[in-house]
Amino acid sequence: MFRLFFTPGWFNGFDLLFDSIGLVIALLISAYSWRIYRFNKENRFGYFSLAFLLVSLSLAFKIFTSGVLYYFPVRETVYQVLAPAAGAHLKYSGLFYRAGFFFQMASMLGAWLVIFLVSQKSRARLTKFYEVSQIGLFVYLLLLVSVVGNFKYVVFYLTSSVLLSLIVLNYYKNYITTKKSSTLKVMASFMFILAANLVYVFVFLQDGSYVVAEVLMLIGFLMLLQTYRQVMRR
Amino acid sequence: MAVRRSRLELVFDILLAIQNKGGKIKPTHLMYKSNLSHKLLNGYLEELLQKELVILEEEPVKKKKRPMKVVRITDKGLSFLAEFRRMREFTDAFGL
Repeated sequence: MFRLFFTPGWFNGFDLLFDSIGLVIALLISAYSWRIYRFNKENRFGYFSLAFLLVSLSLAFKIFTSGVLYYFPVRETVYQVLAPAAGAHLKYSGLFYRAGFFFQMASMLGAWLVIFLVSQKSRARLTKFYEVSQIGLFVYLLLLVSVVGNFKYVVFYLTSSVLLSLIVLNYYKNYITTKKSSTLKVMASFMFILAANLVYVFVFLQDGSYVVAEVLMLIGFLMLLQTYRQVMRR
Repeated sequence: MAVRRSRLELVFDILLAIQNKGGKIKPTHLMYKSNLSHKLLNGYLEELLQKELVILEEEPVKKKKRPMKVVRITDKGLSFLAEFRRMREFTDAFGL
């Protein structure tokens, strides 16, 4: 079986639970942003909704591929379903895992890229052709990173960290401008997600780092949930 | 230079002006409070009336024969204000 990296056995399952929580939070934010988009038809809300939808898709791919790796009954079911296509003894099982990890990486990097672009400029963004064509180039590079990340997972987490650093910088500027607690929380939540991605890089040295990274990621998403609740309470 | 208000922000400002005056306001006062020309305000008011966010009422005035016209915010208008505030908070929080 193909694995990106080894994780502590006792933690198997907990990470899926953490990711499921992140998935639900990302879906909530995406749904609310979509609602605003339908209300005022401004592109930025549509893109923001798409970004969080991509985050939830990425987490869904991660949960699915990791679930198949961790649990024998799930693996058996997938084996039964894929056997006609993958051949006896699942000759192409590596391909299945690589496809799963590829979609996980591509959608997560795509999400960070869209959040970065949307949080960069305040008004009238992503409406001109040249802006959209530039994004085409970025998308190509992210797909390339997602392929390479399958062979050297560190590339994915490093690229992710770079994009997240830029997002944190944008949210820092936003906090300086507004001085609101909600903007500070959003900045802090992306800082936790950034820290998680940096810790993931060192999983090859110490597999316990994976636990730390997952916890940091969960804290980041819970802070996003808190901001969402704060907005909804008004 | 001040940023040009979007259509929704203008609607929000009109409804907020009515709410801040206790739920009803004279059209002339509304014009000053929302910082709009007579022509523009009439256009927006027509739209708000159609969408039932406000209603136009006539109130009797002492020592005057003709009743006074007032614009009153409806429950739908109040919930629009609440929803718009939530959206603005979301927009500010996520730097959109």
